[in-house]
Amino acid sequence: MTVEPGYGSARKRGLGVRWRGWNRVLHRTLGYLCAGLTIVYAISGLAVNHIADWNPNYVIRDDAVTLDGVSPEASRSPDFAERLLSAFDLDETIQGMYRPDPDRLDVFVEGGAITVDLTSGTAVYESVRDRPLLRAFNVLHLNEPKGLWTVAADLFAVALFLLAFTGLFMVKGRKGVFGRGGVYVAVGILLPIIYWLLWR
Amino acid sequence: MRRSIALCLLAAAGTLACADADASPFEGEPYGEALALTEITPISAIHDAPEDFVGRRVLVEGQVVAVCESRGCWIDVESDREYEKIQIKVEDGVIVFPMSLRGRTALVEGTVEKLELTHEEAIAAAEHRAEEQGVPFDPESVTGPETIYRIRGIGALVRDAATAP
Repeated sequence: MTVEPGYGSARKRGLGVRWRGWNRVLHRTLGYLCAGLTIVYAISGLAVNHIADWNPNYVIRDDAVTLDGVSPEASRSPDFAERLLSAFDLDETIQGMYRPDPDRLDVFVEGGAITVDLTSGTAVYESVRDRPLLRAFNVLHLNEPKGLWTVAADLFAVALFLLAFTGLFMVKGRKGVFGRGGVYVAVGILLPIIYWLLWR
Repeated sequence: MRRSIALCLLAAAGTLACADADASPFEGEPYGEALALTEITPISAIHDAPEDFVGRRVLVEGQVVAVCESRGCWIDVESDREYEKIQIKVEDGVIVFPMSLRGRTALVEGTVEKLELTHEEAIAAAEHRAEEQGVPFDPESVTGPETIYRIRGIGALVRDAATAP
């Protein structure tokens, strides 16, 4: 049997092909499996990265009205809360009420809260609405459900690790991890390290 | 293709096998750890003698009157006495309280802690809270050092508004 220089034996070549084949299958399968959740996590990541600038979970809106005949005494009448709901044209069930001080009343409804200044008669309805999709993305990304989702998220993390690792060996030769690809890998590793060293 | 399907089945089986079997002995909507205490401490009692409670594990009950809007990392629970409340602070991300809890009754377990803030720290804390609540902040409203007693919450059970006592 003639062995071409630089290509090893047929046996070694066979093992290499099999290893590369499984690597490719694993990378491709994980790539498809992780695509959806990666998009969810990426969008949520952008959203919660800027939590100081906006609320990524809720759309909060304030509407104010001024009511006549409001006073601390009047606020204790049984129909006062219903009057508040009417003022904001709300058809919601009252969940509860709270008085943080003698001159203020908070009325909680399913979609928000009404705060009344009992001296000025100013009432502010703060409506709270989940951001469509984004709230769900953030709940999953930040693992609010815990329980089974912790397992799913752990599996996703392991899958991402394997995706990255198998990705290193998808291409052979000069463009692979032992050539130009390796330079990109080094840059990707060094960037966070340099940032950390400068920041700490 | 067969190898891809095999990998998918393996992942699905792993997920199901690791399903969380924890179950709270309480009815309601659980947050964090299951409640271990059964005796409820009135919030007014903590306010009356806070030093006696520092470091003690307590179970309190009351209406949720405020929720951290940005991270859901704290709630204020109404006291059994008018115009009073106590803050329940939880580890960021460990428990996340949704804003829909306002007006619902919560049973919360945790340890009473004491925070002694300098004037500057008190201003920073108040400013941070105002930011979280999206309300204007006036530094002049903080007049000096502050001592805050709050509960470091580890678990809560929230009852539906309709079933609240």
